Amino acid sequence: MIEASNIRAGYGDGPDILQDISMTASAREIVTILGPNGCGKSTLLKTVAGFVRPRGGAIRINGEGAETVPIHEKVRHYGVGYVPQTDNVFRTMTVTENLLMGARDLSRDTRNERFEALMTQYPTLANKRRRKASALSGGERQILSLARALMAGPRILLLDEPSAGLSPAMMHDVFEAIGRIRDAQDMCILMVEQNAYEALSISDRAYVLSLGKVALTARSADLLNDPAMERLYLGGDPDA
Amino acid sequence: MIQFLFDTVIRALDLALIAVALSGVYSLIKFPNVALVQYSVTGAFLGMLLQQAGLPLLVALPLSAALVGLLAMLFNVLLFERLLEEGSAIALIGSLALSMILSAVFLLAFGPAAYRFDLPVAPAMRFMGARVTVHQLSTLAITLVSLGGFAAILFFTRLGREMRATATNCVLAAASGIGTRGVINATVFISGVLAALGGMTLAMRGSVSIDLGTQMLLPVFAAAILGGLGNALGAIAGALVISAAETFVTNTNFGPLFGQDFLFAPASYAQTASFALLVLFLLFRPAGLFTSEVNRV
Ligand SMILES: Nc1ncnc2c1ncn2[C@@H]1O[C@H](COP(=O)(O)OP(=O)(O)OP(=O)(O)O)[C@@H](O)[C@H]1O
Ligand SMILES: [Mg+2]
Repeated sequence: MIEASNIRAGYGDGPDILQDISMTASAREIVTILGPNGCGKSTLLKTVAGFVRPRGGAIRINGEGAETVPIHEKVRHYGVGYVPQTDNVFRTMTVTENLLMGARDLSRDTRNERFEALMTQYPTLANKRRRKASALSGGERQILSLARALMAGPRILLLDEPSAGLSPAMMHDVFEAIGRIRDAQDMCILMVEQNAYEALSISDRAYVLSLGKVALTARSADLLNDPAMERLYLGGDPDA
Repeated sequence: MIQFLFDTVIRALDLALIAVALSGVYSLIKFPNVALVQYSVTGAFLGMLLQQAGLPLLVALPLSAALVGLLAMLFNVLLFERLLEEGSAIALIGSLALSMILSAVFLLAFGPAAYRFDLPVAPAMRFMGARVTVHQLSTLAITLVSLGGFAAILFFTRLGREMRATATNCVLAAASGIGTRGVINATVFISGVLAALGGMTLAMRGSVSIDLGTQMLLPVFAAAILGGLGNALGAIAGALVISAAETFVTNTNFGPLFGQDFLFAPASYAQTASFALLVLFLLFRPAGLFTSEVNRV
């Protein structure tokens, strides 16, 4: 599980993008992060993943202090999987190679088993397994990126807008798949999303960020019935 | 004609080792490290000193290469990692500065004289009508083995896969559990080794003096850019083109063109050939000979 408390973070010597953010996400839980463009959602995910070092506050993963553990060690240690918002595939590699990159430390049997399972689940990828990732459409890349993260069998999954650029049918499939993973594999999933309605439908809790702070946190079901959702939908400031 | 091909290949392979090193590192750290040509000179001097200290050539060469590799890694950790945080332009300027400092150190230590490896005198042989020396053949062998070894690492080892993944997408590589900093330093080490070997093979067929680095800078850059900066194996093709042009300029008798019996361009015009090609390519094919996304390191 992830516990972030009083996180302050930013880039280089720039201003604090995250100001005093606290949040948690447990195993068998999907937590959605919502908020307008530029409010720091991706930055929060990058800080939890370990790409951005917090300037203050603490990040605990499974109870251990993890704010200075770099991402590649979090991957091995805690089974963290991360899907970035942009540039989310190895463009010069084929679909198959991309998936295998996600499974470098697995036994051959597990690897083949997962590979075939993902191929069955996402026929779009199966049909293009020998294609270079740079030749996929935006939505196909999005799927590939998610599948690559799943190849490693993560216990904690950080998803930055997994539904961006997907058709409604595909988006539905992906969200359904994410919901299934949580239940089948006791995964802890922290997900940034713009498609608030769909995301809230499958998630357990949500945080709404505004200007680097947590503006609102609630159970997803409650948020879905909240009149403030209307404004969230438009990406507005929930306090307005 | 055979002689032309042979001269071209020999020249190309000198360039290739250093250009491959330049391009390979560029693919990972996204700035061209100008100091690489000085690593070549360091390798040549060091190899010579080790030989003078009594080591057989077959020990001196790899030892010098390994030491230069370590030196390259040291500079990367102490200098370039920090400069890169400020951006690649700053790192480029830093590598220029390091290059000048190394040059000054060589001048202090060795003076302006040219030095030679202590090699047995070998008479030239004839091979299909071309004049070749044993030294040319042995340096050829060293270069081919080194380039082959590098390609094998790149395509058939775990490190090679990690290098290619890091070059393609550093963030995603880290998110796949690859320690990208270690991969980059390993690549920097290899680039130092290749550059040093390039400097030593050059010195084995001629001599080494402190301006060797400056002389190599332009053709090496031209070769790396022709091959598509960041495409390590493309740099070999780039080196072949550049050296064909250079050899053409210096080996062709331009006499008949001007109504004279013999007119050869001075050897210093060889640089003009690489420079002209470089400008043409930057104008018309800035991505190099191969525009499609081939396997970049
Ligand atoms: N690498 C970076 N270097 C400097 N500033 C950055 C960097 N990445 C993001 N920022 C800044 O941090 C702020 C928050 O960016 P972030 O990507 O976290 O927003 P976001 O909430 O994910 O937005 P979006 O919904 O558009 O993805 C922005 O003002 C942005 O300009
Ligand atoms: Mg974002």
